[in-house]
Amino acid sequence: MRGEAVEIRIADGNVRAFSDESIAAAALATGTRVMSRSLKYHRPRTFFCLEGHCSGCLVRIGGVPNLRACQSPCTQGAEVEGQNAFPSAEVDLLGAVDFVFSRGLDHHTLMTGSSVLNRLANKVVRQLSGLGKLPSTAVRLDDLPEVQRYDVDVCVIGGGPAGLEAAGQVARAGRSTVLVDDQLRPGGSMRADPRTGRGAAEATWRSALAAGVAVLARSTAIGFFPEDDGGVLAVASPDRLYRIYAKSWIWATGGYAANLPFSDNDRPGVIAARAVGRLLVDHGILAGDRVCIVSVPAVADDAAALASALHLAGADVTRVALEQVSGTRGRGWTNALDTPDGKIDCDIVAVAAIPAPASEGARQQGCRVVLDPPVGGFRIVVDDQGRTTVPGVWACGDVCGYLGPAAAAADGARVGANVAAS
Amino acid sequence: MAGKIVLCRCEDVTLDDLAHSVSRGYRDIEEVKRYTGFGTGPCQGKECLALVATELCKLTGQPPGAIPPFTSRPPLAPTPLRLLARDPGAHRFEDED
Repeated sequence: MRGEAVEIRIADGNVRAFSDESIAAAALATGTRVMSRSLKYHRPRTFFCLEGHCSGCLVRIGGVPNLRACQSPCTQGAEVEGQNAFPSAEVDLLGAVDFVFSRGLDHHTLMTGSSVLNRLANKVVRQLSGLGKLPSTAVRLDDLPEVQRYDVDVCVIGGGPAGLEAAGQVARAGRSTVLVDDQLRPGGSMRADPRTGRGAAEATWRSALAAGVAVLARSTAIGFFPEDDGGVLAVASPDRLYRIYAKSWIWATGGYAANLPFSDNDRPGVIAARAVGRLLVDHGILAGDRVCIVSVPAVADDAAALASALHLAGADVTRVALEQVSGTRGRGWTNALDTPDGKIDCDIVAVAAIPAPASEGARQQGCRVVLDPPVGGFRIVVDDQGRTTVPGVWACGDVCGYLGPAAAAADGARVGANVAAS
Repeated sequence: MAGKIVLCRCEDVTLDDLAHSVSRGYRDIEEVKRYTGFGTGPCQGKECLALVATELCKLTGQPPGAIPPFTSRPPLAPTPLRLLARDPGAHRFEDED
């Protein structure tokens, strides 16, 4: 399942990898840690979500900057470099900014006392900030990709449990259906949860394909433009842009892995619990030997399932409630979690927060959302059928408030049947 | 690393920064975004918007329902400009003058 053996180069070192895994997974499996530095304080940055949604793993691959290591497959001979650091991401002299301004740095008042100093400060800041350096080679005009158009009855956005089930339902009812999913392979949260797992993800994906759904993988909805021919969804894949026109839309974008607020919660080694689950369930990689799972009560069942799967795989697992966490320790990578009862040694802190509904695309289409912290954030408002506040636009699964993979699949099937009957 | 509670990792916006913003009178989510820069990095708020909004409720005492999200604009994910260059809606500079 991991594909053929390939060799890639990460920061001038050779790394053995598999063609079906992401560069991030290969890097983690072989001990490569810090990938880049943060914009302001130059704090070390690395993988957090492994779902292509955070900015932790931006790297330069083959001379192209700002690519997400977790969404880039390992291809033979790929050259991967860290960015935003001098001289390297592991040892970045600019990290001094973090200590010099340990109490924070207010850029509104930084060197604004004198206009000469202010001009100088601006010059320095512009050198230090920004993301990556320009690509090594220019794009040739002849190589520009074509734009492909889809006209369908139903467009489903998101290929997790809810989206795949919903798409299967409408396609089986004879509607032409396209589903777009931004990940390397569809399956969404099923691939990160030991209770569902890769098997369930593959089976649900195959079932949608068998129903006649056109599944576009590695294809991200980048914007909805209502003014264009009654509304068009722009979808970007690595090699082309799609314009999608549909009579009905189903948002099944799920939720984003979120962080929890505790001191030094951005230290490398603090990773989303779902990413730790994804590494184990989808890639067969144990993220660490000693894992601390920090969680909130709303996702206690998820945290317990992950804990027992990690334990079965041979890890030492400690579960800690958010209120018990007073900080993290480590030089670069995390080596302990601080609590009032003392420190807990660990090499991974897995953060189990309620996933935040990925509702910003639906918002562009005009759907009403509401902030609802107990279910993760800004959920799409739907009626009991799954209709949003915009005619012809539906939503299901975690984007309407966190449910978890199994319940999201059931919700997708239910709403898909409603769309088919409408 | 000096103890910081980071809400937005793209732009290094901390819980202290949010409290400072509120103390200056910037309590609306759009004002907070403009003052602190949260949600303006490569992830465009995917990781931090819900967290910042929830902490803003606690700091200001506003009920969650009173806090709208900030405006969502395309592109929703980092997109290479070359993908857009052949779109029929793309503006062609050679057509001018």
